[in-house]
Amino acid sequence: MKKDNVILRKFVAAVLVISAIAAVFPFIYMVLISLTQKDTLNFDFNFATMSLVNYERVINNFHLLTNLKNSIIVTTSACIINALFSSMAAYAFAKKDFPFRKQIFAVFIATLVIPGQVTMIPVFVIMRGLGLMNTYPALILPIVNAFGVFLVRQFMVSVPDDLLDAARIDGCGENRIFFTVVLPLVQPVLVSLTIFTFISSWNDFLWPLVIASKPAIKTLTLAIASLKGSYSTNYGLVMAGSTFTFIVPFLLYVFLQKQFVEGIALSGIKG
Amino acid sequence: MKKKKSDMIMGYSYILPSLILICIFAIIPIFMNIYYSFTQYNILTPPQWIGLDNYKRLFSDPYISSSLKNTIIFTLVTVPVQSIISLVIAAVLAAQFKNKLGEAIRSALFIPVIASAVLVGTIFSLFLEPSGLFNSALNALHIDSVNWLGNGKTAMFSVIMATIWKNVGYFLVIFYAGILDIPTSFYEAAEVDGASALQKFVHITVPSLSHVIYLVITLGTIWSFQVFDMVYTMTNGGPGMSTVTLVLTIYNSAFKGFSMGYAAAIALLMFALVLIVQRLEAKLFDKEEK
Repeated sequence: MKKDNVILRKFVAAVLVISAIAAVFPFIYMVLISLTQKDTLNFDFNFATMSLVNYERVINNFHLLTNLKNSIIVTTSACIINALFSSMAAYAFAKKDFPFRKQIFAVFIATLVIPGQVTMIPVFVIMRGLGLMNTYPALILPIVNAFGVFLVRQFMVSVPDDLLDAARIDGCGENRIFFTVVLPLVQPVLVSLTIFTFISSWNDFLWPLVIASKPAIKTLTLAIASLKGSYSTNYGLVMAGSTFTFIVPFLLYVFLQKQFVEGIALSGIKG
Repeated sequence: MKKKKSDMIMGYSYILPSLILICIFAIIPIFMNIYYSFTQYNILTPPQWIGLDNYKRLFSDPYISSSLKNTIIFTLVTVPVQSIISLVIAAVLAAQFKNKLGEAIRSALFIPVIASAVLVGTIFSLFLEPSGLFNSALNALHIDSVNWLGNGKTAMFSVIMATIWKNVGYFLVIFYAGILDIPTSFYEAAEVDGASALQKFVHITVPSLSHVIYLVITLGTIWSFQVFDMVYTMTNGGPGMSTVTLVLTIYNSAFKGFSMGYAAAIALLMFALVLIVQRLEAKLFDKEEK
């Protein structure tokens, strides 16, 4: 009985390790292929002939550095705007009393069920009307949605009123209370929200595909799709580009693993 | 009285930025979308009212019937499979491997989650090439090569496989957190009664997780109905219409065919379906909990 358990446990551990390898292997293969000039896909790798030449080509010929810059600008702005606007609204909904507060909040929440694809056509028309096609604001602003407000509000509610009153008695202005007392208290949820915004913005595809047609404004995710579209048989090149898009998210994941997992898991609340 | 007024000003000014953006990007567009769905609109000339014509066209368009069928098949396979795999792995990890090994496995399985669907689709397309890794592996086992993405029968299977591979780590994290919230006293009592690991899983873990399972299924369904990136990257709907999905058809109608009105009608159809399925799932789980 005991022995069976030990064998079973080893077997289960083996299955788990295999599934972990299955999760990581495609990325390793991506990097390996990116270092070669292969035209067949197999396991024969000659490490002596590996080089960074595909990276050189993909960066020089396909403006990937411009795409990287665009992705960084769009993602960073989206993260800051989303965190700031969401926590401002969340604070007002949680701690301020004003007419129609409940109703407006209900409308915010109701917008959460609207899929982005349903608003995509009108938002495209609006952006076009405003002359914002192929601009950063068009890529950044639609990232903001009621989810952040909803998420941060849950944490704002638990900020003690006494603390805010104490700050008021000390002569703190309302804006200062928000920035120096409230925001530090809800910092953990802001980190989670920011990571969630980062991943959705960095990986966003359909909206950029619609609104950013000029090469100079394309994001990395968009660039990889077109690289794959036009050079699908040049495996090394496509994999070099793919690896390039993954460097920033992967490094962030390595350094902020716990926050990443929490941030992504929090988005589960959205359902 | 003074506090009330300052509360009011501050309240409104603090919600204003979000409110403006949500109005522009969610509330106004949903009404515009409803209006467009009754018009013919190619974006260059103003929309022309055509009544229910777009909706009538939905019923005779082979792209719509294929998109519906494919989206439903995609959902019916992806959601149960990814939910069960992630639940089982989470349960085993939480029961047996709360150690460094378990931690490493969880970290590894989460990596596909942070990659974009475009990236995952690109890598998998390479694997599934006629001369790709999957076929090399099959050939090694003396099985004939399969043209995974070029064959209508296997293309959808391939997209589903890549999607599940990407999603498991996400739902695993949610299930794992849910399992850690189950009081250990439940399991201790079961052990006293001599319950096996499988019995504990069936009689304690699964029932205690019913709200998490509901969340995972609902979220999985919403994502599946909206599948686009993976399909666009791997097959672009092909071969033929074998992998066209609702969102792909919305995109193609609106931005390739410039039938904005028709695309708006398809979008509303999708929205309605998502809402109906969500309702059904909520009903189903309410009953189970009672």
